[in-house]
Amino acid sequence: MEALLTAPASDYSPQMVALNKPGITDEAGWIARAQRSDARAFESLYRMHIDKVYGLCLRMTGIVAEAEDCAQETFIQAWNKLDRFRGDSAFATWLHRIAVNAVLGRMRKSKRERDRIQVATESSTAAASVADTGELRDLSDAVDKLPEGARHVFVLYAVYGYSHKEAGDMLGIAPGTSKAQLHRARRLLAQQLKEEGFVE
Amino acid sequence: MNDIDRDDKLISAASGLTTGISPERDLWPGIEQAIATPKRSRWTPMLAQAAAVVLLIGASSGITYFTMKEEPVVIQQFSAELRFEQTAFGAEQTLGSVYRGAQGDYRTDLDAELEKLSPEVRADIENNLALIKDAIAEINVALEKNPDNVLLQELLVRSYREQHTLLRRVGALTKHVMVRKDI
Repeated sequence: MEALLTAPASDYSPQMVALNKPGITDEAGWIARAQRSDARAFESLYRMHIDKVYGLCLRMTGIVAEAEDCAQETFIQAWNKLDRFRGDSAFATWLHRIAVNAVLGRMRKSKRERDRIQVATESSTAAASVADTGELRDLSDAVDKLPEGARHVFVLYAVYGYSHKEAGDMLGIAPGTSKAQLHRARRLLAQQLKEEGFVE
Repeated sequence: MNDIDRDDKLISAASGLTTGISPERDLWPGIEQAIATPKRSRWTPMLAQAAAVVLLIGASSGITYFTMKEEPVVIQQFSAELRFEQTAFGAEQTLGSVYRGAQGDYRTDLDAELEKLSPEVRADIENNLALIKDAIAEINVALEKNPDNVLLQELLVRSYREQHTLLRRVGALTKHVMVRKDI
């Protein structure tokens, strides 16, 4: 709801205004309607969650075009699988799981990871860092330069607050592996930030 | 600052990174277009796939059964010049296992050797083999109607011989290419 209210005015469609009637503006209501193939309700869910989903995709891929594709794929898959959503987890978590799968699937298929590293190395302003300011921007840049496995775990655990078990489930790795990747990420980040003089 | 303090500070700082980032363009039109296609039942493609697999296995088994069941082509009469085929086709004057085995071996060699040839030469050889194969098929059809026709029998055997020779020659083609080692 918060994302919906902060969305630009141009994002609001007449249908969405119509949805702002009492009783049907809640997420559960939209989910129920979307499960009955109501595309307008699904659009409301999209508006509500797109920033978090896109942010996750962008932080995991580091490439704007890839992140856009992954975010779109996430919502298309969510629409197709919506009848299987039973509310066992939060809708956002369910979406994030699909988003992580979409990212992993795309990265497996394409060999753009090497290009991504090259782009990130060449440009000091990584795609995701534009959303951050000050020291956080430096950290964001450093995260973007991490190797794939370490970056994915760091983003899910440290940025999005998932546990090692949840991150491991999403990434298809054991919690122990997630811990090891986090340790690696921390070491590499500390090294990077130290080299650039951001930490002692 | 020790490693633990630094790590804690790092994780703490990372939790402050922005999690919600607005895409530069509205992604909804693309999604809307994609989901506009009516949902298909997830069982339909699976059932279709299963049916396709069953059909494929059935067809494959059927072909294998009829192929195995079919009697080999019987060469009832030979002219004097066809001694080679008489030997190659076995004592019973049929397309014997020796011939079939040799043909299989040549075919295997051929596939390996074709890889080494230029696309143009490869295409020529494949075309010639296809022509011979078509000729054999046509002669077999004619023989079904006139099984005692000696001319057709001879033509059939000659075609098999042509095929055999071509396979043998191509199979050995690149093995006998001379290489100069004095350069």
